[in-house]
Amino acid sequence: MPPRVDREKCDGCNAQQEPLCEQVCPGDLMALGEDKKAYCRSRRDCWDCMSCTKICPVGAIETRMPYQLGYHVAKLIPMMGTDSITWTCIDINGNVERFRYKNRIEPE
Amino acid sequence: MEKVVPKIGLFLCVQGGRLSRTIDVNAMAGKFAKAKNVVRCEVVNDVWDPPFLDSIKKDVESSNIDRIMWVGRFTQHQIKHIEGELAATGLNVYLHEWCDLEEQGIGIEGTDPAVLKRKAESLVQMSLARTRLLVPLAPVELPASDALLIIGAGVAGIHTAATLVGLGKRVHLVEKQSGVGGKVALLSRFYPRLCDPHCGLQFALDKLLRSDLVEFHTLSDVVSLEGGPGNFEARIKKRPRYVNEQRCNACGACTAVCPVDAPASLALTGESSAGPVVSGAIGDLLQPKQKAVHAAIPMAFPSAFVVDRDLCPPGCNECEKKCPAQAVDLNQSEEDQILRVGAVLVTTGWDPYPLSRVSEFGYQRYPRIISNLEMEQLLGADRLGLGSHPELSSADLKEIGFVQCAGSRDERHLPYCSSVCCSVTLKQAVHLKETNPETNCYVFYIDVRSPGFDEDLYRRARNLGVVFNRELPSRVISNPVTGKLELQVIDPALNAPMEVNLDLLVLAGGMTPAQGTSDIAQVLNLPQNSYGFFESHYQCHPEESQRTGIYVAGCAREPMKVSHAIESGHLAAMKALSFLEGSILIEPTYPVVDKAKCDQCKRCMESCPFSSFVFDEKGFPIPDLARCRQCGNCMGLCPLNAVSLGHNTIKQMAAKVGAINPSFMGDKEPTVLAFLCQNDAYKAAREAVDKGLPVPPNVILIKVPCAGSVNNALVADALSNGIDGVLVGGCQDGQCHYVKGNQLVQKRSADLGDKLKSMMIDPSRVRFATLEIRDASKYVDLMQSYIAELRVMGPNPFKI
Repeated sequence: MPPRVDREKCDGCNAQQEPLCEQVCPGDLMALGEDKKAYCRSRRDCWDCMSCTKICPVGAIETRMPYQLGYHVAKLIPMMGTDSITWTCIDINGNVERFRYKNRIEPE
Repeated sequence: MEKVVPKIGLFLCVQGGRLSRTIDVNAMAGKFAKAKNVVRCEVVNDVWDPPFLDSIKKDVESSNIDRIMWVGRFTQHQIKHIEGELAATGLNVYLHEWCDLEEQGIGIEGTDPAVLKRKAESLVQMSLARTRLLVPLAPVELPASDALLIIGAGVAGIHTAATLVGLGKRVHLVEKQSGVGGKVALLSRFYPRLCDPHCGLQFALDKLLRSDLVEFHTLSDVVSLEGGPGNFEARIKKRPRYVNEQRCNACGACTAVCPVDAPASLALTGESSAGPVVSGAIGDLLQPKQKAVHAAIPMAFPSAFVVDRDLCPPGCNECEKKCPAQAVDLNQSEEDQILRVGAVLVTTGWDPYPLSRVSEFGYQRYPRIISNLEMEQLLGADRLGLGSHPELSSADLKEIGFVQCAGSRDERHLPYCSSVCCSVTLKQAVHLKETNPETNCYVFYIDVRSPGFDEDLYRRARNLGVVFNRELPSRVISNPVTGKLELQVIDPALNAPMEVNLDLLVLAGGMTPAQGTSDIAQVLNLPQNSYGFFESHYQCHPEESQRTGIYVAGCAREPMKVSHAIESGHLAAMKALSFLEGSILIEPTYPVVDKAKCDQCKRCMESCPFSSFVFDEKGFPIPDLARCRQCGNCMGLCPLNAVSLGHNTIKQMAAKVGAINPSFMGDKEPTVLAFLCQNDAYKAAREAVDKGLPVPPNVILIKVPCAGSVNNALVADALSNGIDGVLVGGCQDGQCHYVKGNQLVQKRSADLGDKLKSMMIDPSRVRFATLEIRDASKYVDLMQSYIAELRVMGPNPFKI
């Protein structure tokens, strides 16, 4: 399921030429609309990698779980720490699971 | 980069403080002696004990330890001295970590000792984690110019320039008019001494003339400003004077042959068009004629004449032919010049509010209604040589009225008080009465605002018989037969309407920012307030604009009297001096952008309150160190954690957050991490502990340069580490030292709250709160209620 952009929250990265989600998307699927809000221009090509969701500085992008993994309304939400990602997975029954991953340690 | 294995000296300094009463310091020392990277760990009774200091120095010199972590309670004064003492042996001052346990509430008796022990250990772990990441830093020295650019050669600009020249600094004075002196040169007299303003101006100008450090650029405008503090590059455009300044000897032969007889400029009125023609002598005075070639205005300085080519009849070159010194050159053209300066002082001053907009008082509709600035001209006439007019003091000008607050303190016009108009009117009435006691003066007012010693002027006016009427006229008309003005006004003493017939009505209009202020604002990238004056931190740093190295003084900042304008110019120059020393020393706590992480999203550039960021050659944002005020808002908002302040890097902060033991309060009680702004909120928290207020032990605080420097990633770190609540404490709205750090972090906290909500976590686990510097008891109340709320929410789901 492609990313959904909360148009209230999205600030189009202050009308920069390329918002962060556009820069980071491996399939180059995100773009800025005429209203200066980001949108996914080819929804069927999205791989659900969640790069855009993770990078959005205002938390405006949400990725729904693909149906193969969880039925509609199941959600997977990342919260980015300085060197970790904390995932919250909510399935269709409302069960919540949380995991924390440490990111790769970068070489100094 | 070579990996440095830190060698930490850890010293627990009890110094008779409260620490040893509540925790077992020796046991702690024993425990941390075995901690990673700690090579020496001791309990110290007296830091100033010479054998102890000597032993540290020896360890530092022999490289046994390369950084020191101090646990205890230290004042800023002590920190400075200890750091200085050890710097002599080669230990960089940025290799000290100060872990104050008492400000965290460890010294408060009555708390469960087990909790205190766990909390103290957690705090030491936090500081230890940061100590490992400390790096030596050195201040950066940047080259700087030693010249100051002053825009506007009015009274503030001239006096400030004279002082600076006395200090041996170079000054460029840029003035858009042909002469200097600004509005003050147009005044007849100063209050309270009623002396001639030209005297003071000339005094300063004489000083400037004797110096070769000053350069005057008249008829010039600043058209662009590049670079940063210490190294500004201003481009000025100099309009042609058509007279060679070196050759002209101001003999006036040109003016004598000039055929033009045009009305003088409207600078006195602030209007865009002229009003009705006033007949008679007053008319000649108020609407003087002007030749195309004339002496520089407002003050004939530089002494060279100037040709106003807009007034010249086509093809006329009489002046060029007649000039005995061959100084007139009608073929001069515009010139560009680049000025290299260390700082900029804006003293662009004010212009009168166009009184025709205050239509109820009939300005420009009827003759004999003039502004207070025109009245100055009238009063000065006898000294300006224009006043061979006996009418001035005769029966023709016997009844004179003054309307105060004409357009001021009025939502439709100027909502503010221009602060000088009342005293100006008092001065004018006193002057009129003293030169001609037959004159009757009436002042119609809302309030007479004569602050300080100006009250003497008010008393003097009263004693001289000036009539004060606390009601503005409801109607002003001009009687076409008698030519007199008829005013209808309520007499509040009798509560009855009365009619006053006047020969002249003076409207005390207010001050507005000078024409062209918004152009300058654009060129200098300076914010203006809602009235159009330049924005400043009006109370603590009135001279500072929101651009480092650019200062604003005089009426360009807010309406003020002459003495205040001069003072403000000097204050600004005092601050500007640090950029005029030939070099600037920058503390190494400036932000650094990690180019490996940065993806050039430019958020830091846009949100920097001081527009400090510029692009480097590869398009990465880098801070202009001279402009940067090191608030860390760039670090707080970077979505990729790529920006770090020196000595307060995001890694150091994350290490501290990661080292917190989230269960130090036990299983049931919530724990709170508070990021507090060091300017206000942190001081309030510290005062709460010092005063012995019941500060809950649940809180661990981290001091930050500005609430805006707290990155959401750190808050996320804390939450996923199991901390139950994270509070960011900043200044109240409009009080942030860095303009908007508090607003930026408030918005981010709200965004994170929304994310938490979708994660099925109570969004109020993240909170932004405002605290003032002495809000100690408010801080305690805030924490207690927050902890009570957290108790209801239950433990953070990430808590293990």
